[in-house]
Amino acid sequence: MKLYHLKKIRIAVSLIFFAALLFLFLNIELPFFKQTGNVLLHLQLFPSILHFLAVFFTISALGFLLVILLTLIFGRVYCSSICPLGTLMDMVSALARQFRKKKQRRFYFTSNRKTVLRYTILGATILLWISGSLFLLNLLDPYSNFGKISTSFFQPAYIWLHNTFVFTLERFDIFAFRPLSMHTLPWGVMLVSLGIFLAIVILAAWRGRIFCNTICPAGSLLGLIASKAYYRIAFTEDACTMCKKCEWVCKAECLDSKSKTVDKSRCVSCFNCFSSCPNHGLHYTHIPLTAKTSTNQGEVANPQNVEKRNFLLTLTAGLLSIPLLRRKAFPQGTDTQSPGMIPHGDRLPVTPPGSLSHENFNNHCIACYRCVGACPTKVIVPAFFDFGLEGFMQPKLDFEKSFCNFDCLDCTRVCPTGAIRKQTVEEKQQIRIGVARFLSESCIVTVDRTDCGACSEHCPTKAVQMVPYRDGLFIPQVTPQYCVGCGACEFACPTSPYKAIYVSGVSKHETAQTIDHTEGPREDDSDEFPF
Amino acid sequence: MDRRQFLRKGFIYSALGSLYASTLGRIPLFAAGSQHTSAGNYDLVAVRGGEPVEMYRRAMEEMGGMEQFVKPGQTVALKPNASWDVPPERAANTNPDLIAAIVEDCLKAGASQVYAFDHTCDEWERSYDNSGVEAAVRRGGGRMLHAHLERSYQEVDIPGAKRLTKAKVHERLIQSDVFINVPVLKHHGATTVTVAMKNLMGVVWDRRFWHRNDLHQCIADFCLYRKPDLNIVDAYLVMTQNGPRGTSQSDLTRMQSLLVSPDILAVDAAASMMLGHQPEDIGHLRIAAEMGIGRMNLDDLNIQRVSV
Repeated sequence: MKLYHLKKIRIAVSLIFFAALLFLFLNIELPFFKQTGNVLLHLQLFPSILHFLAVFFTISALGFLLVILLTLIFGRVYCSSICPLGTLMDMVSALARQFRKKKQRRFYFTSNRKTVLRYTILGATILLWISGSLFLLNLLDPYSNFGKISTSFFQPAYIWLHNTFVFTLERFDIFAFRPLSMHTLPWGVMLVSLGIFLAIVILAAWRGRIFCNTICPAGSLLGLIASKAYYRIAFTEDACTMCKKCEWVCKAECLDSKSKTVDKSRCVSCFNCFSSCPNHGLHYTHIPLTAKTSTNQGEVANPQNVEKRNFLLTLTAGLLSIPLLRRKAFPQGTDTQSPGMIPHGDRLPVTPPGSLSHENFNNHCIACYRCVGACPTKVIVPAFFDFGLEGFMQPKLDFEKSFCNFDCLDCTRVCPTGAIRKQTVEEKQQIRIGVARFLSESCIVTVDRTDCGACSEHCPTKAVQMVPYRDGLFIPQVTPQYCVGCGACEFACPTSPYKAIYVSGVSKHETAQTIDHTEGPREDDSDEFPF
Repeated sequence: MDRRQFLRKGFIYSALGSLYASTLGRIPLFAAGSQHTSAGNYDLVAVRGGEPVEMYRRAMEEMGGMEQFVKPGQTVALKPNASWDVPPERAANTNPDLIAAIVEDCLKAGASQVYAFDHTCDEWERSYDNSGVEAAVRRGGGRMLHAHLERSYQEVDIPGAKRLTKAKVHERLIQSDVFINVPVLKHHGATTVTVAMKNLMGVVWDRRFWHRNDLHQCIADFCLYRKPDLNIVDAYLVMTQNGPRGTSQSDLTRMQSLLVSPDILAVDAAASMMLGHQPEDIGHLRIAAEMGIGRMNLDDLNIQRVSV
């Protein structure tokens, strides 16, 4: 195979992969893309590692090993094909270059490897992670950020387009398509997403893959691995004429034709260089690690040693910073404060069913918002600091907006990290994610002396029952052992500004009891109408 | 197509679209006011002992056929109960086969189109799918409309109402010539029973207002806006406890009945008695009777009782 075909293959593969992941986030279910997307989900580096830590050995949790293996053989092909944010940046970069004069479209080699910054970020991310906070990972991981950007901007744009189309058809009495429900994300989260999106766009437009080679923890980790890759791009000494054409297309800015070196830790294996070379001056081959490709006069004698040193240095620096970022853990078990006495502000956040506990959720959620976009009732919304710094930007259930549909399993099916585990309907219907609390003194029935019952009406388990009150009225009564914390009662409650019934999360999910379901329908014993 | 062409075409199409919507789309094919003439001369037909569709066909025979209520060219708004994300065997929603038969009948009677919708309590797509109602409406040849977006609702005045003086009502109800209400009879935790009157909460946008402002009064008030031309009550499987959503089939009793009446209060009164209540004990029925919305005293009515 001619090497210059590699670029075309890389572009085709990355676009298919990008589309597959984008469609997943837009909830567009196309046969081939859906399967591809689901496989790709397991190949995302950090989500896969988190998933592995959450569930240990299952085939689907071993995606990261495949990625590492791939990197050990071919270099950072992950960054050029599998990473959706990488492809997004390539698109932005290519587009931005269209608006420039020809000469200004060029990239230039830089010897500034930003080693300290790179590995400080990677070290701090890992250390914080070990210490129990995904703060930096959730802020910097490329998959997570692709998810945030998709859910915050691409999905609303798609929904708007789709609905415009649907509503236009409706004017002509065609009702073949359903409109989609738009979610509204908290403004703080939108701001962070926007900030990340703008940063990505600006960095990509400015210098291609500078984000991947400076900030991205996945890029830095794979860079370390790629410097040991079996196949590497190298200059062919005799054929290279130092025309610099390869440098001008190298978006990682890692090719130096002058010294005939390639910085393997920065190279994202995009193969642009092969296509640009008029002379077969580059080749892709196995180079034993011991063989020195060429000496860099100006640079440090052994860059790998320096990298190691910096890595260790930042590890220690990161360790020292942990106490500053640690937040005190949530109280364990159900909170036992008595109902009706606590202001709403004191309640615990509610995590999705299948997330087991706040601890499990906070330790594994990478804040990609796939569950946010997949939730049909839009009850899952990104929280800001509800979980503290440790769970920064991770989602929670917001019963002001909606409630968790009893028979729905959508969020448990989409989580790539194991923060939300797969459930059967029967299991899910018994998972207690929170408990309802009834504030009798602010209830319509007590205050206005009129019937209401909106809470009980919506309750799927009859944990909220209407019981006789006075003057023939009925008042809600909560039986906590039946309550799953779905929030239907809180959502339906018509009182304002504070709901008379609300759900407080439980930090460790429990199993709710169910009302006896053994009997079928009773037969009617009367033989005529009572009127 | 270049950009200019695209813009031009887009403009023309959207102009045509809005022209259509503002003119042709609004001309009622026949004058509104679809006052029925009770051919069978019954105020209420009650059938028992059969399958839902069988009982429905018999009841309509007694009523003089759907032609009594739907005239050729009229549009029909159908309000089933499709509020809950539970399967048909749980009987929290109207029986889908019954709905399909009604839609079919309306079209046979010459209806230009049948539009069904429900502002659901559970997530709307799951409720429409799992209740089997959307599929049934389509099977019958009608159209199931979404009702989960505020844009589909228009504010109307309700003259004579005590509490619910204004409400945002689904635009299809406002536009349709005939209104057919197809509730399922159930126990209800707060209003004791839910039948035809309570079912109309699914055609408005803001249900919370009703709950906040004397629920029983609001339920009665809404009938002053528009009473259904025909009420068909599914009482085949009846939820006798844990309503209106129910927790399992053990909440149900197989009553194998169906009630049909143009009088929303009469049908609710009869249905309440099937659940063992006196109509005057149910708040919204008592209020509706006082407001003259219908007839609650079943002794005054011409009732046809049939066993099949």
